[in-house]
Amino acid sequence: MTASTFPLSAAPAMQDEAAAEMRDSPDVAAAIARACDRVAPSWPLDRLIAVNPFWGFVDLPIERAAAQLAALSGATLLMPRAWYREQWDAGRFAVRHVIDAIALTGSARRADDVLAALASDERPAASWSLVTDAADIGRDVGHAMEWGDYVTRHVSQTCAACFDEGQARWTPARAAGLYPLWRTLAVHDGGPRLLMGLRGFREAAAELPEDPRALIADALAALSVPRDAWEDYLTALLLSVNGWASACAFRRWEARLAGNDDDQLVHLLAVRLAWELVLLRLGDPATMPAAWRAIREGWVSATTAAERTRRDDWLLQRALEIAYQEGVARALTVTTAEHCAPTLAPTAHAVFCIDVRSEPFRRAVEHVAPRVHTLGFAGFFGLPVAYQPLAGPARAQLPGLLSPSFIVEDRGTGRARAAAGTARALARAEAWKNLASTAASTFSFVESAGLAWAAALVRDGLGLGARARDPLRTPAAAHPALRPELSRRANGNALELGERVALAAGVLRAMSLSGDFAPVLALIGHGASTENNPLAAGLHCGACGGQTGEVNARALAALLGEPAVRAGLAIEGIELGGTHVVGGLHDTTTDEVTLFDLDRVPPSHAAHVAALGRELAAAGTVARRERAAALGIQGASDAALARAVRERSRDWSEVRPEWGLANNAAFVIAPRERSRHVNLGGRAFLHEYRWEQDAGFRVLELILTAPMVVTHWINLQYYASVVDANRYGSGNKVLHNVVGGRLGVMEGAGGDLRIGLARQSVHDGRRWMHEPLRLSVFVEAPADAIDEIVARHAAVRDIVRHEWLFLHRIDSSSGAVWRRGSEQWSSLDGE
Amino acid sequence: MHFPPAVLLVVPLTFLLAALLPDRVFGSMPERRWTASLVTTGPALLLALVAAGAVAAGGAGVASVPIGGALGSFALGVRLDALTAVMLPLVTGIGAVILRFSRRYLDGEPGQSRYVRWFLATMACVSLLVVTNDLLVVALAWTASSLTLHQLLVFYGDRAPALIAAHKKFLLSRVADVAIFAAVALAWRTTGTQRIDALLAEAATAHAFPRALHAAGLLLALGAIIRSAQLPFHGWLMQVMEAPTPVSALLHAGIVNIAGFVLIRLAPLMGRLEGAQMLLVMVGTATAVLAALVMTTRVSIKVSLAWSTCAQMGFMLLECGLGAYGLALLHLVAHSLYKAHAFLSSGRAVAQQQFRRMAPPPPVTTGRHWALAAAVAAAILFSSSILLGLHTDEAGTRVAAFILALALAPLLVRGWARGAAAALRSTALAAALVVSYAAGHAVFAAIAPSVRAAPAAEAFRLGFVTLVFLALYAVQATIAVRPTGRFARALYPAFFAGLYLDELCTRLTFRLWPPRALPVQRMSATPPASPLRELAA
Repeated sequence: MTASTFPLSAAPAMQDEAAAEMRDSPDVAAAIARACDRVAPSWPLDRLIAVNPFWGFVDLPIERAAAQLAALSGATLLMPRAWYREQWDAGRFAVRHVIDAIALTGSARRADDVLAALASDERPAASWSLVTDAADIGRDVGHAMEWGDYVTRHVSQTCAACFDEGQARWTPARAAGLYPLWRTLAVHDGGPRLLMGLRGFREAAAELPEDPRALIADALAALSVPRDAWEDYLTALLLSVNGWASACAFRRWEARLAGNDDDQLVHLLAVRLAWELVLLRLGDPATMPAAWRAIREGWVSATTAAERTRRDDWLLQRALEIAYQEGVARALTVTTAEHCAPTLAPTAHAVFCIDVRSEPFRRAVEHVAPRVHTLGFAGFFGLPVAYQPLAGPARAQLPGLLSPSFIVEDRGTGRARAAAGTARALARAEAWKNLASTAASTFSFVESAGLAWAAALVRDGLGLGARARDPLRTPAAAHPALRPELSRRANGNALELGERVALAAGVLRAMSLSGDFAPVLALIGHGASTENNPLAAGLHCGACGGQTGEVNARALAALLGEPAVRAGLAIEGIELGGTHVVGGLHDTTTDEVTLFDLDRVPPSHAAHVAALGRELAAAGTVARRERAAALGIQGASDAALARAVRERSRDWSEVRPEWGLANNAAFVIAPRERSRHVNLGGRAFLHEYRWEQDAGFRVLELILTAPMVVTHWINLQYYASVVDANRYGSGNKVLHNVVGGRLGVMEGAGGDLRIGLARQSVHDGRRWMHEPLRLSVFVEAPADAIDEIVARHAAVRDIVRHEWLFLHRIDSSSGAVWRRGSEQWSSLDGE
Repeated sequence: MHFPPAVLLVVPLTFLLAALLPDRVFGSMPERRWTASLVTTGPALLLALVAAGAVAAGGAGVASVPIGGALGSFALGVRLDALTAVMLPLVTGIGAVILRFSRRYLDGEPGQSRYVRWFLATMACVSLLVVTNDLLVVALAWTASSLTLHQLLVFYGDRAPALIAAHKKFLLSRVADVAIFAAVALAWRTTGTQRIDALLAEAATAHAFPRALHAAGLLLALGAIIRSAQLPFHGWLMQVMEAPTPVSALLHAGIVNIAGFVLIRLAPLMGRLEGAQMLLVMVGTATAVLAALVMTTRVSIKVSLAWSTCAQMGFMLLECGLGAYGLALLHLVAHSLYKAHAFLSSGRAVAQQQFRRMAPPPPVTTGRHWALAAAVAAAILFSSSILLGLHTDEAGTRVAAFILALALAPLLVRGWARGAAAALRSTALAAALVVSYAAGHAVFAAIAPSVRAAPAAEAFRLGFVTLVFLALYAVQATIAVRPTGRFARALYPAFFAGLYLDELCTRLTFRLWPPRALPVQRMSATPPASPLRELAA
């Protein structure tokens, strides 16, 4: 089939024949699979963890991926030229950085040309048009809705109805999946005729095949899409509804983690393609064929053109990143002078999450209590668990890359009573919800109970309510007598002592903590307390699957406190005898730390734990002082500051409770001594790692394949939410509208599902609070070991080689920093 | 306690003056406008509460305030009565909560000063509307509130969906204006006065009304129907989610209720205009039932709340049409409070849903469950209503009691299906709601007494509403018992599509007043140069 054959002019019989052939074509199946693989998953709101939205493109060099995304959807991975100009004017990078950027990328540009480009704005590049664009030809789009907008809205509403989890009370028959649902609704849908003036939509929909893959094959044939453009065309369609595509990709991701599969992404593709096919078939025979042919011809050069227009901007972006790396490298090198263990033995070890918000807090702890040694480790503390609350389903408390192996549940006296109380509270909530949202009862509900909301308005309006009542997130607050403990394997089998010991030993070794224990070992997870915030989970611990770290910290503390486990550890050479392990939670909104289960502290350690509690409180004061300026509450006394952040955490109208991981830019994998005296400005993830203790570099492999990928995901999520806020950010919080109970938000009443961070999370109304820099990773380990691990793992190799992040190595003896190029290491002198 | 009614004018004046303060007063500290504005809501609310206290102590009254101007002099009527005493604290109180909410919520947004000023101007209009004794001023303030609200709806002037919704509302409101002003003019010409107290006094003594007054009643009812977003004039209400959340709260808890307030204000007159009452019952009932069903299909929290408002307004109008003004007022006040909170706290949807997900799946119910529950609920209600004095022969109260019984039935069904303890709890909750309902009814019936229609008309309306709500109950039960059965499958597409009632309205709005020359809101700052532009040219 050639591009000049137009389906409307072809005889129906020929069409059928061609279609039948296409339906069995393995090439079509392959194109579908590849297009679907381009879409990165996006987690639902109650487990909102960060993802690199371009994860499906990391097999391409970032510049190439960006050009392709620009061509297919108009997306951008760079700031506007004007922004680079501002950075240049502000002295954020210099000529030498541009020269370095050119040398490192092997570009043929000259530094003068690149700097001259700063004077002008970038030229807009053309992106692919689709049938929805062709359908607008001849319509007065000044006085009618555009087809692109209409189709997005239509697809979006159908997706929401199909995947809804708890908003609608009346849901359609949707067991067969998205495409059959869409088709059933379309066959009855009078909207396209009434609103868009399109005749014959219902009849055209009725003629579509019932199977989504058959539809895709038919449509590719009928639309005369050239074979070599299949994958890109399908990708462009998915990108046109990227929010829902990401939600479908999450369904697939989760199903695959559990060993199953999910096909809704293909259904979505079929729905979007069905619109193309119907609009083509119902288009004006006088103009549509020519328009569609012209559009297809326009596709050919789009990617190359997009690559050319942003060539200089990539060099500028890189120069900015080199300038930042230079500063970090210098700071990390300088500290070699102080590179010695403190002389006094530690009074406590405090393990924090690698999260960038821990960096200023750890500095504060070390400042007020130099004998407290802090460490960084992924905030799920190496426990691949799901937490089983007192009722309902278990929820994952681990990074999105993993699947839970063990179950943690609440144990202790009074468990049965607590469970009964929870059940009653749930029944009450359910009854109210039913009254309020059932059609026949909603009126009487308002008249008999509505006046009571006067009290709620006063309470919330004046911020009089206690901290958000959320029995699900705060086990300690809801049931102080219970403690979350490891109970069994996820498959229901018992957890034998040997496994418990192995788990405990593995975690301690991964923390590079297997000897010289202090009297107290504190495991401090983190979470944010915010109110009325649909994106709250995004501020919690990503390593705990968007929950607070409380469950993991307490469960590991309990495990390490078990006498039998301690005995087992001792056999493995890990002597915890004199140490009490306590779990805690760092509230990143208020910088208060809660230590849990203090009633279980033995008298021998009570004084030590109490002292640590006081030191953490003092550190909170210091940390708040550092954060005050960014929160716009500088100049207040310590007490006023503490009050202000606490009010913020309870205020139902607060859209910027804290800055989350904004401005993250570096990941340091090294012993704390390497960075202890450096102020990394809350921009760095810190992971404790001592390669000398790492036999076979197993721990290093774990760090580079898990925490490094997770930090890269976080980094790219912030990056993307800034550089292309409309596609990869979720927009303005004041317009957010929660969809399907937890699926995501829309901005306003309709449009695509929105993914990524809200504008308020990266912008303070005057300026960006996140500087979009790709992650710079600094590893203190031998080059061979790093190279070997990178080579062995395809995903890691891709993100390093294709410059989705930058890998550096710190030489232990000299402190010199080396940069990893695409194949080899080169010295980074700093000057 | 004597409270001079004229003092009430201080409330709208305060808001108006605060709105008129030019930006330069605050110089380089725009933040101070928030403080100043919030401070003004304090005395306004206090004054409203004092006035309410005065009314409670028997201090109702009417005053005339002469206003001299270049165009001649005019006496502005002010009315302090039980209705004013309920409405003014409600309006100022909810306004204060929403304004306070807005302060942090809009932090960092451009145009905050513009927001505050139009917000206060809207407050001024609504509070004037509540205290005035002139029908003409009611109409003027109503129109003005629509115009000031429009400025808030287009707060994001670069959002095409926001503009199209606002334009749709604007156009419909002007149609309503024509109806409302025509009604005022007709009433004035027929009775020779536009003073509300004089009009109501005449209504109380007249045996029959001239045809022109009936026509005025119909026009006012039509205006009320359009203004309270009844089907098929409802589309904008669902689409104005394109404005900030607190604007939605203000609209749904405040502005959209004005129609109900005006009808209640004119109750002694409106209650006797048969045609208008019939129109309100018909449209209100249809909207309540259809919009409530559409609501259950909505997939996002805010749009679901908006359909709920549409349905609730229908219910309020139907209560007005039945002459049950006390219930209508109860509905207005309770709904305002509930909906203001629901919108402002809509961000909690995720946490609430997450909590509810912990609940065990709902029990399986059968048709027999639902039928039995309806019968038992009716019996319980019948016996308890006699005890509570709910049982009267008024059409409005009877309908309300009947609908309450239907409402409580599913609660009882689910409770009974879960076992003895749950059955006991749900029965106790149902009883508590009946008591609370009866108490609310008693209080508000004293503030806004019912107006009886002719027995035949009353019986007809009673029968109509009862049948429609029985049908709603049956539909709901059928869907609950067989969620994917043939009946549910057949109905779903139409309700999911909002019954196609808004499509033509949207299309017409695009024709008459498109968002701008090119309505596209381009996703990227740099619009791609598409080959289409050349083709189209």
